[in-house]
Amino acid sequence: MTLLDIDNLHVKLEDEDREIIRGLTLAVNPGEVHAIMGPNGSGKSTLSYVLSGREGYQVTEGSVTYKGEDLLEMPPEERAAKGVFLAFQYPIEIPGVATMQFLKVALNSQRKARGEKELSTPDFMRLVKDRAAKLNVSQDMLKRPVNVGFSGGEKKRAEILQMAVLEPSLCILDETDSGLDIDALRVVAEGVNALRSPDRAMIVITHYQRLLDYIVPDFVHVLSKGRIVKSGDKSLALELEEKGYAEFTQDAA
Amino acid sequence: MNAAIARTAAEEALGFHLPNRRMEEWRWTDLRQLIDKPYPPRQKVEAKGGDVERLLASSPFAGVAATRMVFVNGEYDAKHSKQSNAFVESTAALDDPVNLMNVAFATDGARLRIEGNVDTPIEFVFISTDASPRTVATRNVIEIADDASATIIETHLGEGSYLANSVTEIRIGHNARLDRVKVELESHDAVHLAHAHVIVDRNAAFRDFTLTAGAKLNRQNGTFRFIGEFADAKVSGAYLLAGKQHADTRLVVGHEVANCASRELFKCVMDGHARGIFQGKVIVRPGAQKTDGKQSSHALLLSETAEFDAKPELEIYADDVACGHGATSGDLNHDHVFYLKSRGIPEAEAKALLIAAFVGEAFDTVHHDGIRAALEDFAARWLTERRRKG
Ligand SMILES: Nc1ncnc2c1ncn2[C@@H]1O[C@H](COP(=O)(O)OP(=O)(O)OP(=O)(O)O)[C@@H](O)[C@H]1O
Ligand SMILES: [Mg+2]
Repeated sequence: MTLLDIDNLHVKLEDEDREIIRGLTLAVNPGEVHAIMGPNGSGKSTLSYVLSGREGYQVTEGSVTYKGEDLLEMPPEERAAKGVFLAFQYPIEIPGVATMQFLKVALNSQRKARGEKELSTPDFMRLVKDRAAKLNVSQDMLKRPVNVGFSGGEKKRAEILQMAVLEPSLCILDETDSGLDIDALRVVAEGVNALRSPDRAMIVITHYQRLLDYIVPDFVHVLSKGRIVKSGDKSLALELEEKGYAEFTQDAA
Repeated sequence: MNAAIARTAAEEALGFHLPNRRMEEWRWTDLRQLIDKPYPPRQKVEAKGGDVERLLASSPFAGVAATRMVFVNGEYDAKHSKQSNAFVESTAALDDPVNLMNVAFATDGARLRIEGNVDTPIEFVFISTDASPRTVATRNVIEIADDASATIIETHLGEGSYLANSVTEIRIGHNARLDRVKVELESHDAVHLAHAHVIVDRNAAFRDFTLTAGAKLNRQNGTFRFIGEFADAKVSGAYLLAGKQHADTRLVVGHEVANCASRELFKCVMDGHARGIFQGKVIVRPGAQKTDGKQSSHALLLSETAEFDAKPELEIYADDVACGHGATSGDLNHDHVFYLKSRGIPEAEAKALLIAAFVGEAFDTVHHDGIRAALEDFAARWLTERRRKG
């Protein structure tokens, strides 16, 4: 069964009559990695927000089906419990909320919603320590409030740590590579690759072919002005790197 | 000028004119209007069997090891106390109405002189038991000797309808340190009027934290005077208010000498129709150079009907000082709520986490781990209670 089925999706801003997603269709099967590339402002982050349930957008047409259910009907926390995870392009800082407490409440809320047993504190600590070590996330970072005082690259790594702890079925990575240094990029990509599995799918939004050398996609899509104007395999990313978006964006105009 | 106005029934019972909104510092808390029934003073009330024990057990600090002094309905309760009063004389001459009533009506209160380093916190517990409406007034006088240090908790608990008038005078000697924590958890049908008057001498360190969560009507004044150089005072507080609760805090920090630092931080959470006010005034006297005085108040409004007013004031008569103030007021940050929900945390829980984080910043000024943990537990319970009520 298709994991995620986006059909002719149209999205506008709630308080403005501007359509941002303009007839987007995309099917993602378990095990697949889809890369989405496209010029600034083409609607990539908007798509990721609509999938994770952020307020402020209005779907005017089309549908999104996830694991056979209407995704757009669910509140964000239900989507998360059912396995949707967005690694934010700009992870936000939450002063006063300790990272470990946040992770534990998140994981156990999801487990509870799925009717699973909550994790005990020692089991939880072990899990986080293990995942943090693999992603080079220091104990010091875990002691701080969520993302507070993290550098740009540290925030991106922290997002992937959350993903590794929560083990979602649909991972949406919004420009996780931007802001990462060369070594961090490799570590993060390894972390992401470790999560690749036959029943998990990924949507990787990026501007750079380099990330796709590490996380090799099954499909590459070009998003322009709110719709997919070209799809191909990983060679499309190379072609884009060489030629830019000009020829596709003209088509879409 | 008040003589011309007919006394209200409440004023008649007290024999005092109550402050009203035409007095600038009482503009948001017109006691003349808000105190709508008589609370006669000098009423001797005996606690019913079990009341004191039940209220003591309800204190957030019941589990914190402390030397306790218990006052029931304004009288020292030897049976529940571990420490008795010393002879320390009251010296503060304050002319505000709360203090004048206190001087007239106070029946008892803690009198302590601290010498040396006292590690175990001392807790004053003020308990008012359910009886007919009346004024219960207590006055505490605390002296921290030179080089001494202590942690003192003031816990106010009660049931039924009463007006609590509580004045605390504190003198902190050279090189001395006092951590003071006050929690106001009066009965929801009570009025709480308080004044803390603190004199801070050379090189002294003073930390003050006040949690305001009880009483229907609340006015707490603080007067802090620096009389010796190189002293430092951190005054913080938190409001957890709901329903129709009204809380007004007015602090006046007087930098009378050079080289002292003061910090005020208030975090106010308000739900329902609650009304919160924070008035902070920093006065830098001539010659008090190198004064470092900052104050801030932040309000989190959980409902559209809650209201918060802040009035920061600076009065500066020296030129080489660093003083400032800031005040914010708003509801929860929607991006924060969404971030937590996007990780699977249900909305109510996400909000509770964020509210706890918001007030938690004020708890951070409390040094004692056990006391801080007890405050955090109290806030968590308050939030759960709020959610349960919907
Ligand atoms: N809340 C909003 N208010 C106003 N405009 C918005 C809002 N959200 C998105 N937009 C607009 O919608 C368009 C698409 O934005 P989006 O962030 O989805 O682009 P993107 O493809 O992720 O770009 P980038 O590559 O720069 O990250 C932009 O023109 C943006 O300004
Ligand atoms: Mg974007």
